[in-house]
Amino acid sequence: MSETFGLEFTQQVINGLTLGSIYALIAIGYTMVYGIIGMINFAHGEIYMISAYIGLITITALTTQLGVETIPLVLLLTLAVSILITSAYGWTVERVAYRPLRGSPRLIPLISAIGMSIFLQNYVQLGQGARDLSMPPLITGGWRFGAEGGFQVYLSYMQVLIAVVTVIFMTALTLFISRSRLGRACRACSQDLAMTNLLGIDTNRLISLTFVLGAALAAVAGVLISLYIGKINPFIGFEAGIKAFTAAVLGGIGSIPGAMLGGVVLGLAESFSSAYLRTEYKDVVAFSLLVLVLLFRPTGLLGKPEIEKV
Amino acid sequence: MINFTRNLLSVAVGAAALGLVGMAQAADTLKIAIAGPITGPVGQYGDMQMSGARMAVEQINAKGGVNGMKLEAVLMDDVCEPKQAVAVANQVVNQDIKFVVGHLCSGSTQPASDIYEEEGVLMITPAATNPAITERGLKMVFRTIGLDSQQGPVAGDYIADRIKPKRMAVIHDKQQYGQGIAEEVKKTVEGKGVKVVMFEGVNKGQTDFSALCTKMKSENVDFVYYGGYHPELGLILRQCREQGFDARFMGPEGVGNKDISAIAGPASEGLLVTLPADFSANPANAALVKAFKDNNQDPSGPFVMPAYAAVQIIADTIKQTGSTDPEVVAEAMRKSTYQTPIGKVAFKANGDLQDFEFVVYEWHADATKTAVK
Repeated sequence: MSETFGLEFTQQVINGLTLGSIYALIAIGYTMVYGIIGMINFAHGEIYMISAYIGLITITALTTQLGVETIPLVLLLTLAVSILITSAYGWTVERVAYRPLRGSPRLIPLISAIGMSIFLQNYVQLGQGARDLSMPPLITGGWRFGAEGGFQVYLSYMQVLIAVVTVIFMTALTLFISRSRLGRACRACSQDLAMTNLLGIDTNRLISLTFVLGAALAAVAGVLISLYIGKINPFIGFEAGIKAFTAAVLGGIGSIPGAMLGGVVLGLAESFSSAYLRTEYKDVVAFSLLVLVLLFRPTGLLGKPEIEKV
Repeated sequence: MINFTRNLLSVAVGAAALGLVGMAQAADTLKIAIAGPITGPVGQYGDMQMSGARMAVEQINAKGGVNGMKLEAVLMDDVCEPKQAVAVANQVVNQDIKFVVGHLCSGSTQPASDIYEEEGVLMITPAATNPAITERGLKMVFRTIGLDSQQGPVAGDYIADRIKPKRMAVIHDKQQYGQGIAEEVKKTVEGKGVKVVMFEGVNKGQTDFSALCTKMKSENVDFVYYGGYHPELGLILRQCREQGFDARFMGPEGVGNKDISAIAGPASEGLLVTLPADFSANPANAALVKAFKDNNQDPSGPFVMPAYAAVQIIADTIKQTGSTDPEVVAEAMRKSTYQTPIGKVAFKANGDLQDFEFVVYEWHADATKTAVK
């Protein structure tokens, strides 16, 4: 019994980590924007939804129209196309909806963000229809562990791919932020935007960059989800956005490692509550966890105590 | 002040003129609202309902309409959302439409039916199967489809007598329709001694079911009944098969459309579905089936013929009574019998059909189905 329990537990960890990776990728976009301009970009979930559409369309076009058979090639091309177009969306959203409002009270860009989110949802509905789009699985198969006939742990290639791609992009982002000149400028912005501006750094450009980076990671999440789940509609951005936002807050909003940790914790919490309680309680558990963490650590798991920005 | 009065006057004249035009139109057309999901995740079912109802409207108009009036179908989209259904119902009332064919999802039909009852609008749903809809003693609410309390036992009997699972799971989507039918099935199979080891809900719109699949696998579940619609079941099938959980699944008519095969792919092979008998296979409907096919429409969907029948029943009763007063029509409907594409129809006092048959089908990966009884 205990042996099977171990195997089941491992399977649930795998399930949770897969889900958590996706949450973490989206959560980065929330946390980076918050870290620099102190605003919650509610349209970020929609950016992710758009990237899932671009991903699904690109994959379908490559495999059925252009006849590209090599899966790694399809994957690389899709990621490239999706990152490119989604980043453009991220940049445009910032340019259109937030930059003109820079310097206005905090509530105003927030409302603008909600408006943008509704706009993008309807825009995709009009362009692609409000119905589900689905796609046959591209990457199938995986490894099985455990005794033949008994409970077997299943680790699919797709789950490994999600984990690997997530780690690659997270590492790249961390290196970029900690090592590069632009990354240093980003960190400076998050400490003191006005001061950084006074020191001759084009902060508007950096804010745009933040949106582009967030959108690029959301694009990765979108492509992975359209491969993994295989069914998308214009409304998926809302739930994913709420979950990723929760992950960002859980980990400490404004902190990049926090968003990664928050995503993984949330994914695992959902998976375990579904496994050991009941499936319908998974959101209840996830959000109760958020409330608990915030009660005892108001800045989240890895957040620094915030000094009120003047 | 003078200016104001003059404006008011012109508005009044304009309104009167519009009113006259409206009345002039009302004299030779009879509007029937067709309410259901046109967009949204279950829009496919709306298509079935719309195509059936519109075909009936066309054919009745081609034969000269009803008592000299042409029927006009007014399509309304409730997205299968209870909130939106209430908005649609109010729109129907405001546009002074007296007859509704719809709604489709039980969860949206129920709140809408309250408004219709109160405002004296006659409603026939060709699709909503939750028993609660007609349990409230409403006068204006009918259906041309069976009930979950009939469909549940059909599924339950089949499971208990033919499949005989040892450890069964019942999963539902916590919606009025899905949970309602899941409970019926659970009750039936437990009455026949089948052990239900899991009874759980999932969230509408949820996309990741891997934890649920692992749990069913570790509980050694050997048969799963799912109460709900195809978007969720499609993903459950796909993710569970991927994990190597190979128990057989069964669902109600809400999962039986071709999209389940698009979502689940090969995992949809062997799925069991209870559906209304395939009326398009009935030789008596051959001419009608041909008319649908000529229009490039699929007559085999579970709600196509019930929607056709609903429109036909409204038209027949108006002809028979010579009245377009919905209350007179409703009264007459309870006493009459009709010959329709879904067979001979008579209503009970509560608005349900006297009898309606559900059949178990086996679904295939290429989106076709075969009857198994």
